[in-house]
Amino acid sequence: MYFSDIGIISLILASGFAIFTMVVATLGATRGLPQLVASAKRSVLTVAFFLILASAALIASFLTHDFGLSYVAQHSNFAMPWYYTISAFYGGQEGSLLYWALMLSIFSAIFVFTAKRAPAVLVPYVIATLMGIETFLLIVLTTVSSPFVRLPAPLADGVGLNPLLMDPGMLIHPPMLLMGYMSFSIPFALAVAAMITGKLDSEWLRSIRRWMLAAWSIQTLGLVLGAWWAYHVLGWGGYWGWDPVENAALLPWLTATAFLHSAMVQERRGMLKVWNLSLVIACFALSIFGTFEVRSGIINSVHSFAYSSIGAYFLAFLCIVILSSIGLFIFRLPKLRPEQEFDSVISREGSFLLNNLLLVGIMFATLWGTLFPLISNAVRHQTLTVGPPFYNQVDGPIFIILILVMGIGPLLAWRRTSSRALRRNLGIPALAAAVCAAVLPLLGIRDVWANIAFAVCSFTVCAILYELWRGVRVRHRHGESYPFALLMLFARYRQRYGGYLVHLGLVMLAVGIIGSHFFQVQQDAVLKPGQEMNVAGYKLVYFGNIDRTYPDVEILSAQLQVWHDGQLQQYIYPGRQLYTSFANQPTSLISITTYNLTDLYVFLADWNGVSEATIRVFVNPLVLLVWLGGIVMLLGGIICWWPPARKPPKSDHAGTQASPNMLLTENSPSASVGASGVPGGLVGLYGRPLWEALQHWFHNTWPSSPTPRATIKANHPSTQPPSPLRDSWLVNRRDLPRENREGTS
Amino acid sequence: MTKHRSLLLFLGIVAVIGSIWLYTFLASPSRQSLDQRVHDVASQLKCLVCQGESVADSPATLSLQMRGVIRQQLQSGKSEQEVIQYFVSRYGDRILLSPPMQGITLLAWIVPIALMILGALLVFFVLRSWQSSTAKEPVDTHGAESINMDEQELAYYQRQVEQELAAEDPVFSQPASEAK
Repeated sequence: MYFSDIGIISLILASGFAIFTMVVATLGATRGLPQLVASAKRSVLTVAFFLILASAALIASFLTHDFGLSYVAQHSNFAMPWYYTISAFYGGQEGSLLYWALMLSIFSAIFVFTAKRAPAVLVPYVIATLMGIETFLLIVLTTVSSPFVRLPAPLADGVGLNPLLMDPGMLIHPPMLLMGYMSFSIPFALAVAAMITGKLDSEWLRSIRRWMLAAWSIQTLGLVLGAWWAYHVLGWGGYWGWDPVENAALLPWLTATAFLHSAMVQERRGMLKVWNLSLVIACFALSIFGTFEVRSGIINSVHSFAYSSIGAYFLAFLCIVILSSIGLFIFRLPKLRPEQEFDSVISREGSFLLNNLLLVGIMFATLWGTLFPLISNAVRHQTLTVGPPFYNQVDGPIFIILILVMGIGPLLAWRRTSSRALRRNLGIPALAAAVCAAVLPLLGIRDVWANIAFAVCSFTVCAILYELWRGVRVRHRHGESYPFALLMLFARYRQRYGGYLVHLGLVMLAVGIIGSHFFQVQQDAVLKPGQEMNVAGYKLVYFGNIDRTYPDVEILSAQLQVWHDGQLQQYIYPGRQLYTSFANQPTSLISITTYNLTDLYVFLADWNGVSEATIRVFVNPLVLLVWLGGIVMLLGGIICWWPPARKPPKSDHAGTQASPNMLLTENSPSASVGASGVPGGLVGLYGRPLWEALQHWFHNTWPSSPTPRATIKANHPSTQPPSPLRDSWLVNRRDLPRENREGTS
Repeated sequence: MTKHRSLLLFLGIVAVIGSIWLYTFLASPSRQSLDQRVHDVASQLKCLVCQGESVADSPATLSLQMRGVIRQQLQSGKSEQEVIQYFVSRYGDRILLSPPMQGITLLAWIVPIALMILGALLVFFVLRSWQSSTAKEPVDTHGAESINMDEQELAYYQRQVEQELAAEDPVFSQPASEAK
């Protein structure tokens, strides 16, 4: 009895339960039998249990070095440290599929646990859809791609993991990205359930957006980690190469971002239902497509660590997903009429539509570029490459426009914006952009595109900061100190201000990309001891190579001094690692040192004995902002996602009908994301006391500065108190109750 | 009057920036170093012995030699485009990192752009049709600007807003200090 036997049995049992759940949940929903639904819920947990068991069996096989198991023998050996041995779990195709199935089952279990927050009608269909996906994965896992296949005779030692994967990045990037791919299945399941039941109301929307936000945040983290890993490991001085696999990971992220924006239009105005559903389905279809692309090996990629025949299964599954979604669509189309109508192009809705157009445009251009070599090969039998220059020239300008829209959009009011309000709000950001555009060329930035891009970024940063400032100012006038007012903005209106934070992070990321794209300086040199090279103000003096040999790995590093501004900064040791089991694949130990946002990226390209080295140096300005921007975006995403602080009032705030409450559109609690009314489980349990303590501390540290004035003035018509309503020009006459409007007109 | 002034201000700023840009980009033509030009050319060529890397990025010996050739040819006075053409004539289109903008591969470039334009037109016309269906309510061209509430009405909404805000967020139950 091996651990792998437990694994096989668990997988088979899990498939049985998954199929059972699917049938029972559907029956329970169609026949209206709550007992069946309850049974399906428990069965989801059982599936999760068996998948955890199967994964534990695989990890146990790895840790006990069971080299009789083919997967273990191929992806680990005795010399690997235990953490890479565990991470080898998802290092190959079979294991990463198991990991995927595991994550799907865990997320399904989380959905079941929090099912009371989702509309009850939808739950059985969501469960059935999720288990349908799970069944597909389990069928692949138990038949064509099982991690539990035993070898005829056990090997003495395993092959080991590809050395590129033996990196701290391996411990966190693949699990995050795979989890990100998978997490799009819950919004998809919610969309399918909504199409079947026809329940696409605001409750459904809150549910789906919350899950989409979670998926988006995970995917953001996965992408940024992937870029960081590539930067630290691959040695070509960049972090994003527009490789087909990288593109595949970006595609669902783009559609998810588009959905998170257009969902707001549906929430507020009841429009774009069809479009939103298509975006959700596109997210899931694109993540399946990504998997198919990586697994099938149809497209050349640096990431093809593992591919085989299972691509066909994923293609078939992709077709089923797309066809059944289209079928459901046609079935449901009559119910998807917009509830309200459009007023003006110059409005928040209009900017969201433009945002969607641009995001989907980037998505399509990227998809097209990824697939074009295939098409060209089929039509002309000629292999050609669609590489970074294509994406930079096509996606780059769209991205810049997107950032511009990001600055203008939040300043527009719903329905329509007056040109005066627009001028007032855009004045300061436009001035910032003008100053930027005037000063940067004088400072020596010669590239037209870089100047345009930086001007746009400064516009958007300024627009966001101005918007934050206005929010803080209103609260400050009501007696809060500035820092506390800022904190309260984020605490109270999480969706809105979390969104601004994401925008700010994206602009930081963009500045980093622009800086490192346009101003990267690169130089190669073959050095002998005592020789030096000069790159963009940095001087590198070479001393020689150091060779250290360990049982499983040989590490060779060059010793160099870094001089900057006539001063010795430090010693650096860029090097190579040669694993004995992968002698022809030396991995790099890149030396990256950061001086004032500029990375000095030194790579040992080649060496000869201990006294000659080919050194490749990149000076990458502003790359640090890419990582910081990524962190800020993630933080913003978490703030958006974070469960609301307290129960929304019982009154009928929800819905999009015009009511006096609509005056506070942006600020009403029903508008904040995931206003499900229940504090978020453990997070709420532990987060609340911490939050209250923080509030208390803040009040004591920064006592509110302006003393609230007497209220006499407020009643005097000539000096109206600055209400946030007047300040925020959100007021729109047609949002007011009709009787009031008519009474005075 | 103020409208004219802001327009003048706007035009003035545009003129200043325009002249700065013209000065920097035209009067002093870009003096790109040879290194930069080599990098520019090399980053458009594909390293044929590596996986998806450009000649500029790749550490392979072949790429090193190719960078040498590029440098030589640029020094001898060839333009960037001529150097790229030289490599295409020797290796064919597969040496290029992006599809050439001619023949069938022009499609690679045109399709995304055409679809973006089509999408923009679609969005525009859809919006127009949605808008015209609301035209029965006279569209107020000046938007929120033209709202002329009387004191009473204003006070009513003011109170309403203050109440709602206060119910929602305790800070608004505090009276505001004077506006600036």
